[in-house]
Amino acid sequence: MTFGNILIILAKGAGYTILVTLAGIGAGLAVGLLIAVLQTTKVKAVQLLLAAYTFVFRSIPLLVLLFIVFFGLPGMGIRIPPFLSMVLCLGLVSGAYLAEIFRGAMAAVSRDEITAAEAMGMKRVQIFFYIIWPQMFRMAVPGMVNEFTSVLKYTPFAYTVGIPEIMKEAMSLAALTLRGLEIYLAVGIIYYLIYKAFVLLFETLEKRFRIPGLAGE
Amino acid sequence: MALIDVQDLIKRFDGKEVLKGVTMSLSEGQSKVVMGASGCGKSTLLKCLNLLVSPTSGRIIFKGEDITRPDMDIHRLRQDIGFVFQHFALYTHLTVEENITLGLRKIKKMKTAAAREKAAFELERVGMIEHRNKYPAHLSGGQKQRAAIVRALAMDPAVLFLDEPTSALDPQMSREVVTVINKLYLDNITMLCVTHDPFLAKYISDSIVFMHEGVVVAEDVAERLFYEHEDPRVRQFYLSVIDHR
Amino acid sequence: MDAFVQDLIHYSPQILAGLKNTLLLMAIMSVTGIAGGIGLFYLSLAQNRFLRRGTERFISFFIGTPLLVHLFLMYYGLPPLGIRLSAFAVAVIGFTINVSAYNARYLMTAYNGLDKTQIEAARAQGFRFFQIFRLIILPQALRLSVPSLTNQVIQNLKDTSVAFLIQYPDFFAQMQEIASTNFQFFKTYVAAGLVYLALVSVIVAAARRLERKVALPGLETLGRA
Repeated sequence: MTFGNILIILAKGAGYTILVTLAGIGAGLAVGLLIAVLQTTKVKAVQLLLAAYTFVFRSIPLLVLLFIVFFGLPGMGIRIPPFLSMVLCLGLVSGAYLAEIFRGAMAAVSRDEITAAEAMGMKRVQIFFYIIWPQMFRMAVPGMVNEFTSVLKYTPFAYTVGIPEIMKEAMSLAALTLRGLEIYLAVGIIYYLIYKAFVLLFETLEKRFRIPGLAGE
Repeated sequence: MALIDVQDLIKRFDGKEVLKGVTMSLSEGQSKVVMGASGCGKSTLLKCLNLLVSPTSGRIIFKGEDITRPDMDIHRLRQDIGFVFQHFALYTHLTVEENITLGLRKIKKMKTAAAREKAAFELERVGMIEHRNKYPAHLSGGQKQRAAIVRALAMDPAVLFLDEPTSALDPQMSREVVTVINKLYLDNITMLCVTHDPFLAKYISDSIVFMHEGVVVAEDVAERLFYEHEDPRVRQFYLSVIDHR
Repeated sequence: MDAFVQDLIHYSPQILAGLKNTLLLMAIMSVTGIAGGIGLFYLSLAQNRFLRRGTERFISFFIGTPLLVHLFLMYYGLPPLGIRLSAFAVAVIGFTINVSAYNARYLMTAYNGLDKTQIEAARAQGFRFFQIFRLIILPQALRLSVPSLTNQVIQNLKDTSVAFLIQYPDFFAQMQEIASTNFQFFKTYVAAGLVYLALVSVIVAAARRLERKVALPGLETLGRA
C-alpha cells in the first residue's frame, strides 16, 4: 500500500469531517448571533444569564462537554445520536466564542449611523438587518475564520462517539497495517488541505464583499 | 397653521435642565436657524422634535398632532422629518447611491428602479451624480455632507432638520455645503437648522432663533439679529463666532 | 451521604493525582509555549526570505491541523520505527509545538500593530537586529499580546483533557475511569466540567491582575483572540 493509497482511503472519511465542521459552524453561528442580539437588550437578568453562558462554554473543554452530552445524558433519559451530539457541542462552544466576536464587531459599528437610521424612521429590526449586520459580519471575518478553524480542529473528537470521520478511519487502518506514522501524517495533510481550502474560501468571500473603510481588525 | 409648534418644552438629563421651556414654531415653506453658544440646548431641541430624545414635558405639535403623546408612531413621524448630522453618518457599507435608496426601498417601499431614478435626480441637483458608486470612505467631507443631504431629501420629508451641517468641515468644503443648502432655501424647502456658523445662518434662513441656557431669548431676521439686536448676549455671541472664522 | 459523593471521596487520591498531572502539563506547556512562540516570532522576522517563509509555513501547518493528530502521530506512529516515547513526553512535545505556533501568531499580530518608526529610529541609532528585537520589539509585542497569551493559557488547561486520549493519566482520564466503574456518567462528567470551570476562573482572575500590572500608557492591548 503506497502513501497515495492511504491518502485516498482516508479522504473518504474527510466527507464526514467536512460535514461535521459545516454543521458545527452553522450551529455556532445560530447560537452566536442569537446571543449577540439578545445581549443588546437592556434587561439585567438576560445579560447576566448570557454572560454566564459564554463563561461556562468557554471554560469547559469540548471533550468533557461531549462526554457529558453523549455518555452522561442517556443516564438522565435523554438520548442524542452521535452526529447530533457532536454538532450540538460544537454549536454550544463555538457559539459562545462567536457571540463575543460579534459583540465586539457590533460595538464597532458607528453610533452615528444607527442614529441616522433611527432618524430616518427605521424600526429596530430594519436597523439590525440593513445597517448593523452587513457591517458587523465584515468586521468579524478574522475572528470568524479563527473560530471556524477551531471547529475544524475539534472534529477528530467525533471518533470518540463513533462517527466515521478521518480520525476513526485512520485508527482502524493503523490497527490493521501498523503504519501509523504514514497514516497520521496523511491525516495531518488532509486536515491541512481542508484548512487551507476554508481559509481560501473565506479570503475570496472577504475580497468579494470588501468595502473601503470597513475591514476586520 | 404652523407645521411645527413647540410649547413650553422642557428636557432634563439626570436632573440637569437642558431645555427650560422652549416655545417656537415653524411654518410650511419657512426656513429657520437656531443659534446659540455650545450647551445652550439647540441640538437637544432638534433631537426632541423627532423624538431621538424624548422630552420631559411640554407639547410638540407636528402637522396638527401632538407627537409627545405616548402612543405616537415615532417611525411614521421620523419618515416625515429628514435629518442631516454634523458628522454625516453615511452608512459605511453602502455606496452613495445605496445610502439614498435604502430608505426609499425599505421604508417607502419603492421599487429598486424607481428608487435609483429618484436618487439620480436628487444627486444631479447637488452635483454629486458622478460620485454615486463611491463608498463614503472615498469621499471628501463636503461630498459626504452633500450625499447625506440628498439621502434626507430623497425621502420627501415635510421638513428637513440640519444639525451643525458645516461644523465638521474646513472653510472650502463648508462653502460647498452652504451653496447646496442655500439652493434648497431658494426652492422653499421647509428647514430647521442648528448651527453656530453665522455665514450659513445668513444664507439659508428666513429668521434666526437665538437660544441661551435652554430658553429662546430672541428671534429675528439675520441682519437685525446680528447687527441691531438690543440683547447684549446676542451681540456678544455674534462677535465671538465672527472672531473664530 | 450521597453514594456519588462517597465515590468521589473514595477515589480522591486518584483524582488529586490526575489533577496534579493536568496542572503540571498545563504549566509546562504554558512556559515552553511562550519560549517557543518567541523563537518562532523571531524567525518569522528573519532577514532570510526562505527562513521566514519556512517559519510561516510551519506556524500555519500547526494552526491548521488538530492537536490530536500530532499526538497520535508521535504516540502511535513512532513505536513501529523503534522510537517509544511516554505519553507525557508526547504530550509535552506536541503541546509545545502547537502552543508555540499560536503564541507566535499573537506576537506577530501585535508586531503588525506597532509603530514601525521606532524600529527605524533604533536602526539609525546603530542597534543590531537582535538588540532591536530584544529591546524594542519584544517588550511591546509581549505587552500587547497579554490578553491573547493568557487566553492561550486557558486554552492550554482545556486542551490537557485531550491527553487522556493517548493514555496520559490526567484529571479527565481519572474521572473517566471513575465513571466507568460507578456508571454515574452524567454526575461524574459534570463534576469534571465544574472543576475545569473553577480552574479557569482562577486563571482569569490572575490574568486580569497581570494585565493591569504590565499595562503601559499609550500601548493599549489588542482585543482578546
